[in-house]
Amino acid sequence: MTCTVSASGLSLHYGGTRALDDVSLRLSAGVTGLLGPNGAGKTTLLRVLATAVPADRGSFTVLGHDPGTSHGRREVRRRLGYLPQTPGFHPDFTAFEFVDYVAILKELTDRAARHREVRRVLDEVGLTEVRGKHIRMLSGGMRQRVALAAALVGDPAFLVLDEPTVGLDPEQRMRFRELIAHAGEGRTVLLSTHQTEDVAMLCHRVVVLAGGTVRFDGTPAELTARAAGRVWSSTERDPGAKAGWRTGLGTFRNVGDPPAGADLLEPTLEDGYLLTLDGTDAEVAA
Amino acid sequence: MTAAIPGAPAVPDATTGPRASRAAVFVLARFEARRLLLRAPVLIAFAGYVGWTVWRTRTSWDGFPALQDADRATQTGPLLVGLAVLLCANHAVLRSRRHGTEPHFAVLVVPPWRRTVGHLLSVVPAALLVTVCVGGQFAWEALKPGAIGHGSPGELLAGPLSVLLLGVTGVLLARLVASPLAAPLLLVFLLFFALFTAGLPDEGRARWLAPVVVENSGDTLPSDLLGRPAAWHALYLAGLALCLALAAVMLSGGARLRSVRAGVAGAVVLTLVGAVAQDGSVSPETAEARTRISTTPEKVHRCTEREGTTYCAFPEWGPRTADWAEVVEDVRSLAGGTAPDRPLTVRQRVEARYGLSGDAAIPPAARPDEVTVGTTWGGNRVPEFAVAVAGVLVTGDEETAGALCDGRTVTVMWLALAGRPDPMSDLRRVRLDDSTSGSAVVISQTEPLSMTAAHTEVVRELLERPRDEVAAKVKGHWAELTAPKVTTDRAAELLGLDAPEEADECL
Repeated sequence: MTCTVSASGLSLHYGGTRALDDVSLRLSAGVTGLLGPNGAGKTTLLRVLATAVPADRGSFTVLGHDPGTSHGRREVRRRLGYLPQTPGFHPDFTAFEFVDYVAILKELTDRAARHREVRRVLDEVGLTEVRGKHIRMLSGGMRQRVALAAALVGDPAFLVLDEPTVGLDPEQRMRFRELIAHAGEGRTVLLSTHQTEDVAMLCHRVVVLAGGTVRFDGTPAELTARAAGRVWSSTERDPGAKAGWRTGLGTFRNVGDPPAGADLLEPTLEDGYLLTLDGTDAEVAA
Repeated sequence: MTAAIPGAPAVPDATTGPRASRAAVFVLARFEARRLLLRAPVLIAFAGYVGWTVWRTRTSWDGFPALQDADRATQTGPLLVGLAVLLCANHAVLRSRRHGTEPHFAVLVVPPWRRTVGHLLSVVPAALLVTVCVGGQFAWEALKPGAIGHGSPGELLAGPLSVLLLGVTGVLLARLVASPLAAPLLLVFLLFFALFTAGLPDEGRARWLAPVVVENSGDTLPSDLLGRPAAWHALYLAGLALCLALAAVMLSGGARLRSVRAGVAGAVVLTLVGAVAQDGSVSPETAEARTRISTTPEKVHRCTEREGTTYCAFPEWGPRTADWAEVVEDVRSLAGGTAPDRPLTVRQRVEARYGLSGDAAIPPAARPDEVTVGTTWGGNRVPEFAVAVAGVLVTGDEETAGALCDGRTVTVMWLALAGRPDPMSDLRRVRLDDSTSGSAVVISQTEPLSMTAAHTEVVRELLERPRDEVAAKVKGHWAELTAPKVTTDRAAELLGLDAPEEADECL
């Protein structure tokens, strides 16, 4: 598969904090999930790749353009769609006006074509009916879809989504999954999330980041396979488990190194993710 | 870019490169301009400005404007719009910061400095709309049948340029202080500053640093003697607006651009040239011309003759002679003796030596049969002029008419007012206290005339009687009515009235 984004040795420090440390990545068309605990450097990596902040060291290209140069940065931005972690909105704009405004800032200058494109992305995210409503009148889920429409406008080849499903109810999350899956057809999408189910359902690749370094880079199946033979069931929480919790059936699901003769269970991507984080400084919420 | 989503329409073919960036700035400017013009403060300010302008222009200068004054009158109204534009442009620039869209917009193609240019350009349509309003206001004045003189493009530009300057100030302020409170505070400061400086004397070059420079005088001078550096002031305003605009661009990341740095240098030069050239002092040539027109106006006059009266006016006031002649004929037609045929000279005079900062009175003409007319017309000026004409017809010259303190005043006032469409109203208007009883001073372009309470009583009664009846008596007793020292009682008696009951003591 053709490589769209290629990053090599990206490092970034905020004061004495190491946010990114020698991160190398190669992204191609499709949805790539970026998993990691809080403070792992996910948002920082996305901001670097979105050209919001420059890396201290290392380099990367998007579709062959180097954002280290002024011209390259402009070309990258022309091909970029970015949905920040906490997107802002202009509440007195309508949904149409807001996306139109973003389209102008993406240099879509032909009025008729731009308006067609704005209508297209609003239709794509299911906001056609409310496009004339002021953003302050829209629900949180609708606002998030406005932000996604703004990221999609101009049909960017590289889409960076920073935790787009945070705060959404299950139905809205399902709707968002559809949208992201749709968006990933033919373009490169980098999706940062805490939701391992999202990654399992949407992504053809997954990158696990912890402490600013890449801990895993492979397919969801490979990440899941890391937990093969390391998930077991017991009636009591196994003290030797890295993580363990009571399930709805009343038994305990343990992840780690199982004792001999343990009742092994089918691993999930989340199990593989937890085991990948094992031994890092990151806090594992299990 | 590739069309990634099946069935999706093609992405607009945006031209890439600097051309697309420039185009995006103009598109952004149009977007922001539309929003700016639809903001409530701007709409209210425009409504107030247009409403006030229409209301005022309907009756301004009593329908007889001098265009060299009318152009200046277009300047203060736009300041209201300018302040609203300042507020809203500032608000628009801070919008992204206020609503947290900055992190998102920072990775979009149009860089911050170009976005600032977009905001700066967005205030231009407001300035252009004000230009249209200013043009409309001035055209309205110019199309009035009584309009004379010449307007100055520099004066007409001051209003729109002030709007531009204030709008640009709003953008710059947002780049300097990222607080939505800054603009309202600046507004309050500007209003207090304007109130404070309004009380300062007119002289001095510092006043020309303000966007609009008002004059406190009501005098109208020939357009070439105003001594207002309007063109230089317009250049100063344009340069200053450009300076502030480029400063805003530099603060937004445009400082590294050679074109911006060169533009700043050019704008500073423009501003300095304008500021120095508009120093407010009057050139020796203008001062000399002002003295000439004040002391020896006949050297400048163009004279025409109508029905035995010579009208000598400054060149720009030529069209006014017909209006003056109408009044003179009305007064003459009621007079007796030789007065209807006596050659008169109506001479226009003005005290121009103090420019627009003075309100000096014109001394009465010493030459016999010469009547002074000023540079303003319409409203109260018409009956005032009629009084002056009647005074000269009765006494022979303006100096004598101004010193009248006998029964001749009755004849003068009746002659002046009897031919007017609403004599009682005009009697009230020419009197300083707007009364129709008691003693009063009659306003004049030169020496004011005094009316005793007795004069007022007799004149009022005469004006209430049929004009032809009184006119016959005036003509029949003209010699005695215009004889020096004739008493008010005798004048009343000759005109068929009882002796007045009220006092007959001059002021």
